[in-house]
Amino acid sequence: MKEKPVKGERRVFMTGNEVCAWAALAADADIMFGYPITPQTDIMQYWTRLAPKYGKKFLQTEDEISAGFTTLGAVIAGKRAFSATTGPGNVLFQEPMSMAEMMRIPVVLIIPMRGGPSTATVIYSQQEVTMTAFGGNGEGFRVVYSTAGHQDLYDYTIKAFNTAWKYRFPTFVLSDGYQGKMRESLTIYDPAERGIEMVKAEPMLGLPGIPGVDRPTRHLRNTYNTEEELYEVVMQIARDFEKAAPEIVEWQDFDTDSEMDVLILAHGVVSRAAQGALPLLKNEGIKAGHFRPITLRPMPEEQMRAAAARANRVVVVESAYGQFLKLVKETLYGMDKPIDAILRPGVGITAEEIVAEIKERR
Amino acid sequence: MYYNSSAHWGLKWDMRIVEAFIGEYASGKSENAINRALELLRQNRQVTIVDLDTVEPFYTLRPLKKKLEQLGLRVIAWDPAETTGLGEAGSLINQQMIWALRNEGDIILDIGYGAHGARILNLVEGAQDDPDLRLLVVVNIARPMTASVEDIVQYVQGLGTVHGLINNSHLGNETTLDIIQDGAVMVTEAARILQLPVIYTAVAREFAHLIGPHDKAGNPVKIIELFMHEAYW
Repeated sequence: MKEKPVKGERRVFMTGNEVCAWAALAADADIMFGYPITPQTDIMQYWTRLAPKYGKKFLQTEDEISAGFTTLGAVIAGKRAFSATTGPGNVLFQEPMSMAEMMRIPVVLIIPMRGGPSTATVIYSQQEVTMTAFGGNGEGFRVVYSTAGHQDLYDYTIKAFNTAWKYRFPTFVLSDGYQGKMRESLTIYDPAERGIEMVKAEPMLGLPGIPGVDRPTRHLRNTYNTEEELYEVVMQIARDFEKAAPEIVEWQDFDTDSEMDVLILAHGVVSRAAQGALPLLKNEGIKAGHFRPITLRPMPEEQMRAAAARANRVVVVESAYGQFLKLVKETLYGMDKPIDAILRPGVGITAEEIVAEIKERR
Repeated sequence: MYYNSSAHWGLKWDMRIVEAFIGEYASGKSENAINRALELLRQNRQVTIVDLDTVEPFYTLRPLKKKLEQLGLRVIAWDPAETTGLGEAGSLINQQMIWALRNEGDIILDIGYGAHGARILNLVEGAQDDPDLRLLVVVNIARPMTASVEDIVQYVQGLGTVHGLINNSHLGNETTLDIIQDGAVMVTEAARILQLPVIYTAVAREFAHLIGPHDKAGNPVKIIELFMHEAYW
C-alpha cells in the first residue's frame, strides 16, 4: 500500500493547475492520459512529477483524440482514469466524450479554458461552455462543474470522480487559464477523513464467469442498427440524466433573499468579480444580488428562476459572446424578465467594470 | 539588524556577485531576485537582473521591466510587446540571456521553476564554470512539494549544485507569523541535512516588527518589498 498523498488537512499555496493534479491524487486516480496544450500542460507536468511517488501512471498520447479514447479504455478496464485539455484539444476530445455518453463510461476531464475560436490565445476565456456542455454529436448528457478558484478546483475535481462513477456520465471540471496559472491559498485534505468515500472503479468488461450463464451479458455499444433501437437507448439515457439532475445541481447565491434592482448571473471566475461588485453597487444605492450556477449542466433551473423572480432585471456577465447567456435564456424561458448582458469574449472582467456597466445601463 | 548585506559569503566590496534564484512556482524566487538586485543597487553597485523564466509569459519580470529599469537596474528580459503575436511560442531565450554572465558588475538570475528550471543554465554561456555563480533555492513550505524536511531535501538534491537556501514561506494574503517560523525551522533542518547554509528568512514589511531581526531558528530576517502583484500584462 502506497503512502497517501494528502494526509489530514493542510493550508497550501499553489497554482490552480497544480491543485487539479493534487486533487486527482487525493481522489486516488490511477492514471492520466494527455497531450500538452497551454494552459493545461501544468496539470500533466505536476501529475507526472507526483505520480511515480504514489504508484500512479501517465501516458502521453499522440493527440487528444487518442488521449480521450485511451482514458475510456482504462476506465473500461477498471481504472480511475482522467485527462485534461483545453481549446482545440477540447474540440478533439468531443468524439471520445460522445462515445462515453453513449456507452455510459464514467470519465473526468479537466478544462482550463483558453481563448477561441481555434488556436486564439493561450491565456483565458469562458468560450468553451457550449462545447463542454453540449459538444459532440449527442444531446449533452454530461455534468459540467464551473469552478471559481482553487478551493473549488480541489473540491470539484474530487467530486467529479464520484459524480462520474456514480451516475456514469462524462464529468467536466471547467476551469480557465486565469485559475490555472493564478496563485492562491486553499485547504487540501484527504477525502476519506472528511467522510467522502470514493466510488469504486471496477472493470466494465472481461469480468469473471461465463456471460449469459454466470452473469448477465454486458454489451457496450455505440452503434445501433435501427432508428427505433437508437431511440429507446437515447430516451433511456435522457430519463436517467433527468432523474439524476436534481441530485447533481449545485449553485451559490449572494444577497438574493429579498427584492433586487438587478440580479447578476455569472459562472466560474467571473462570479468572483460579480461577488466583488455587490458591495460596490450597494454603495451606489443599487440593490443587487448574484446567482452563480456551479453546475452548468445540469443547470440549477428552479433555483435560478427563483432568484430571477425577485429581481427587476437580470444581467448576464461572461468572458464569451453569449454562450452562458444562451443557457440563461433557456432557463428563464417564459419569465417576464428583461435580460441584459455584458459579453467580453476572451478577456477578463473586473468588479469595477461590472459596476460601471450596470450603472450606465440603468 | 535585519539582513541586508553580502557579509554572509565573506565577500569583499569589489567582488563580483552572481546569484541565481531557483524555486517552485509561487515560492517567491522573482520577489527575492528583485529585492537582492535592488539591495546591491543601493550599495552603489552596477546590477543586471536577468529573466530566465522560459516557462511563463506572466508572473515573471517581463511586465516589470520598465519599472525596474526606472529604479536603475539593467534588466535582461523580453518586453511583453516583443513577444506579442508569438502566442504560446513566446517563451524564448535570446542572445542577451545566453551571454548574460559576460556583463560587467553584479548579475542576478531569476530562474524558471522546478528542476527543469535549473537546467536553463545549460543554455547560459559560462554558467558551468563561473567561479562566482551561487545558486540559491527559495523555499515556501506552503507548497506541497516542499512541505516537509524530507520533501525539501529531496527537492534540493534534484536540482544539482546548490549553494544555499532561503526560507520564503508564505500563504499570499493569508500569510501568518506561524507559517514563516515553521518554514524557518523546517528549512534550517533541511539545510543541516544538505550541509548548506540558510541565507535568510524573507518577510514582507508588515511582519518585520512581529518577527524581529532573527527567525526562530536563528537565521537573519530580510525584509522584502513585494513587486510581483504588478506582474500582469
